[in-house]
Amino acid sequence: MNCEQSLNTQSYLDGELQGADAIAAEKHLESCADCQAQAAATADLSDALRKVPHYSAPDTLRHKLKKQLDREARPSPAKSFWVGAASGGGLSALAAGLALFLLLPPSAATLSQALVDAHIAALTGGKTIMVASSNHHTVKPWLAAHAGISPPVTDFADQGFVLTGGRTDKVAGTRAAVAVYAHGNHEVELFAWPDRGAHLPEPGMARGFRMAFWKAGDLNYAAVSDVDTAAFQKFVGLAKAQRE
Amino acid sequence: MDDRRRRFEAQALPHLDAAYNLARWLSRSPADADDIVQDAMLRAFRAFDGFRGGDIKAWLLTIVRNCWLTAGKAAKRRGHTPLEDQELVAEGDPEGAAIQQGTRRRLDALVAQLPEEFREVLILREMEDMSYREIAEITGTPIGTVMSRLARARALLRETARDCL
Repeated sequence: MNCEQSLNTQSYLDGELQGADAIAAEKHLESCADCQAQAAATADLSDALRKVPHYSAPDTLRHKLKKQLDREARPSPAKSFWVGAASGGGLSALAAGLALFLLLPPSAATLSQALVDAHIAALTGGKTIMVASSNHHTVKPWLAAHAGISPPVTDFADQGFVLTGGRTDKVAGTRAAVAVYAHGNHEVELFAWPDRGAHLPEPGMARGFRMAFWKAGDLNYAAVSDVDTAAFQKFVGLAKAQRE
Repeated sequence: MDDRRRRFEAQALPHLDAAYNLARWLSRSPADADDIVQDAMLRAFRAFDGFRGGDIKAWLLTIVRNCWLTAGKAAKRRGHTPLEDQELVAEGDPEGAAIQQGTRRRLDALVAQLPEEFREVLILREMEDMSYREIAEITGTPIGTVMSRLARARALLRETARDCL
């Protein structure tokens, strides 16, 4: 990791860069062996760490907590959010608390909104494809290295959906791998991102695009496209049936 | 149960596992993680009236980390240090844990050995999927520092974990 761009490459791989910055980082990555090695190693590491089981709160802790909350009398209104954020941590924590003005965690509605936004941004920005290939043996490892996850990638050319490439994107703060298909003049995109137990939206339409969501293995999937209902159903059926 | 309690349970309790996971990785002890999370959730509940929107998970994790720092200072004053060689076995996911448990356990141990400032950014990024900005807020450090610590944490772990990846 000797490249002076390595931190920037890391930001790109973590899905922190947008628009022109992301395109510039992607361009650099294409020509820099150091950063490519970093990308591959980071993807392996991410993969391994995400498989490490999370510790979950023991039931005994949940019970103790419930009892404690039962005992809590309503506190004086003087206690504020900032006091809580600063509890135990003094001034630095207060500074951290003051900077908290983030969006709400993604609900099902924001998830479908984020997905259509990502799809439209890619279409209008002309950046739907970062790796152009109809060969799933090229697209799959590229996605694994760049998105940190490795969903199955299948070319459905015989069924009318031609694999044209892949890209990484960000859906509601999570890095996603996107496989891009052509169906006539229409584009169909298959998003995949790590399952965090989020509630997935019902299938539906937003801003003229059809969407379907499902879970398989440890990934969440979403298909987005403006093809007609029959073609969309067919694609979703194919995508759901594919195996690694 | 009053409305405030209901809102707290609906909004904060879904993140109890995340709070516990962070406390567990930071303290490296189930007993300490228990105390830290209890303390943190109680503080969060008391301060909940003032919580208006924002990312509640990041807010809770900030409080968890602060409680861990406080507990650490108190422990130091008492001259107590956590058990370093405690066996690291996850309580959750028994089925998955059985698969490749050796690899996971080694990786657990390697992560646990990282210095605190590296370990926390790595856990927040890779396990809790927090953005750089959220990690900066939770740890009270500038984004640039978050980025360099994350790079360092990954490099350290890659060096030591080469054989189990």
